[in-house]
Amino acid sequence: MKYLEEFREPQKARALLREIARLAGRIDTCHRRPLQLMEVCGGHTHAMFRYGLEALLPDTVEFVHGPGCPVCVLPMGRVDDCVALAERTEVIFTTFGDAMRVPGSKKSLLQAKADGADVRMVYSPLDALGIARRHPDRQVVFFGLGFETTMPGTALTILQAHKEGIANFSLFCNHITIVPTIKAILDSPELTLDGFLGPGHVSMVTGTQPYQFIARRYRKPVVVTGFEPLDILQGTWMLMKQLAAGRCEVQNQYRRVVSTHGNAAALGAVQAVFELREFFEWRGLGSIDHSGVRIRSAYAAFDAERRFAVPNVRIADPTACQCGEVLKGAIRPWQCKLFGTACTPETPLGALMVSSEGACAAYHQYGYARSDRPAASPAAPVRAAT
Amino acid sequence: MNGYLESLYPFLDESHGIPEQVRSALAASVLAKARDSLKVKRAFFTRSGGELIAAAEAVAAVYRRGGRMFTMGNGGSSCDAAHFAVEFLHPVTPGRPALTAVHLAADTAMLTAVGNDVGFDKIFVRQLIAQAAQGDGLVGFSTSGNSHNLLAAFRVAKEMQLVTLGFGGGDGGEMARSAGLDHCLVVPSASIHRVQETHVTAYHILWDLVHTLLTDVRGRRQGGSA
Repeated sequence: MKYLEEFREPQKARALLREIARLAGRIDTCHRRPLQLMEVCGGHTHAMFRYGLEALLPDTVEFVHGPGCPVCVLPMGRVDDCVALAERTEVIFTTFGDAMRVPGSKKSLLQAKADGADVRMVYSPLDALGIARRHPDRQVVFFGLGFETTMPGTALTILQAHKEGIANFSLFCNHITIVPTIKAILDSPELTLDGFLGPGHVSMVTGTQPYQFIARRYRKPVVVTGFEPLDILQGTWMLMKQLAAGRCEVQNQYRRVVSTHGNAAALGAVQAVFELREFFEWRGLGSIDHSGVRIRSAYAAFDAERRFAVPNVRIADPTACQCGEVLKGAIRPWQCKLFGTACTPETPLGALMVSSEGACAAYHQYGYARSDRPAASPAAPVRAAT
Repeated sequence: MNGYLESLYPFLDESHGIPEQVRSALAASVLAKARDSLKVKRAFFTRSGGELIAAAEAVAAVYRRGGRMFTMGNGGSSCDAAHFAVEFLHPVTPGRPALTAVHLAADTAMLTAVGNDVGFDKIFVRQLIAQAAQGDGLVGFSTSGNSHNLLAAFRVAKEMQLVTLGFGGGDGGEMARSAGLDHCLVVPSASIHRVQETHVTAYHILWDLVHTLLTDVRGRRQGGSA
């Protein structure tokens, strides 16, 4: 298939892997532990497992799966807020499909739907606006969720609703920004990361410019990378070349999609509609300053949090759940004591098992189940955490 | 950087000035936090006022029979434990007598010895075994209610027949469900700051109540010595 097969050619993949192995040998001489590269985006995590890339890398290179899955980092209390909104009789609650199964403290949106709440899956916020047009007697709430990638679509929908004067549409805003979270990870005293595969989709909106601080202030290389196998291998190779040469730069492997300065129209819509929250809570990571947005007062009429009484109760994660440690790279998904037993894709306890982009779901889906732990099976393709 | 990115990622701006927009947001934030603190306190005292009086009666009973209070906590809660102790040891209201209270995190030699040789879970337990006696009291502060060293100390304190009092937060954690506590005062908030702010107010009030309840004893003592 055009535009796909050329990014999946085995011969080119093998050549890149040889180069990565050669560079790893050079870099290994000045490191006493495996190189740790964080893929920030959940899309990268999914692609790595889908194509078995991690297993092809030399033992001296490890990927740490970052926090770039917006469904996975949604705190349980916000899911409870969604359920509370959805269970109001006047509300049609609209959401992207992957948020339907995220467990709240009592139930998920899917369970709320089974209990009679009017919860509808949509593919775009504009679909939700369409429902509002067709049901002027109901309140249509859209569950705005996602990073900078999906923020412009929601912002443009609010602008459209404002333009049309659609009074029965509102947004429950849970949009978050990834860049401050990368900074929070870099500020961690336990930081052992050597470089970053930068998020491709977010960068399509923001450009590569916001990552300059990572290279300049923290002396870590960043390569913004696409999602096909050759993209990821090339991005890894570019990171390794920088590390081998002792360079710390922001490079762009995903040039066919990402520019330096981003999408001005998208960023303009975001700035018009949203303003930063003082902080936002991330599941497993805690509160991160300036990492979420809310609707500006000019568009307050479309803010579900102002229109309805949202409980806004903070709920602690189940004590046995180790999503936070997985998100920070402290443990591998299969090292969680719930992985594959109490927590499975069918009955997820932790958010990382819910979304297909979550690291636990990826490990589970592609066969890295409990029985495949390296300790139990030396031939298993996953390396032990350091 | 273009203006869009500056508004989305203000920390990337290296000019270090505070824009007026941020300054007004900070002012609003100050008031919002103060309102939240007030709301949490109101909810706590409405729900737990009776329990606070019962706890004060229990502490007063400890002092009435010549006992001592022991206090404990970790981190900021350790500071609250120290504050609780000093209120009793060094009363700020003239005319009120000093009452013995021992802060169990004050002895660094003991803490490091037990922590290193036995384990951090035992840093308070070992001191209680060495110092406390039947009829004394133990008060512990834990915003989560799940501090292992506190829970272990409460269990042993109960076996030693001490009066036990816990200050917690959130849903109270293990502390609220533990049989080792006679009184557990739980601040219904997930914010550690709001919980600790309410703890301070609560133990200031408790200190006041204890002295009020001890007035008759003080009167007799003062009368006897005159």
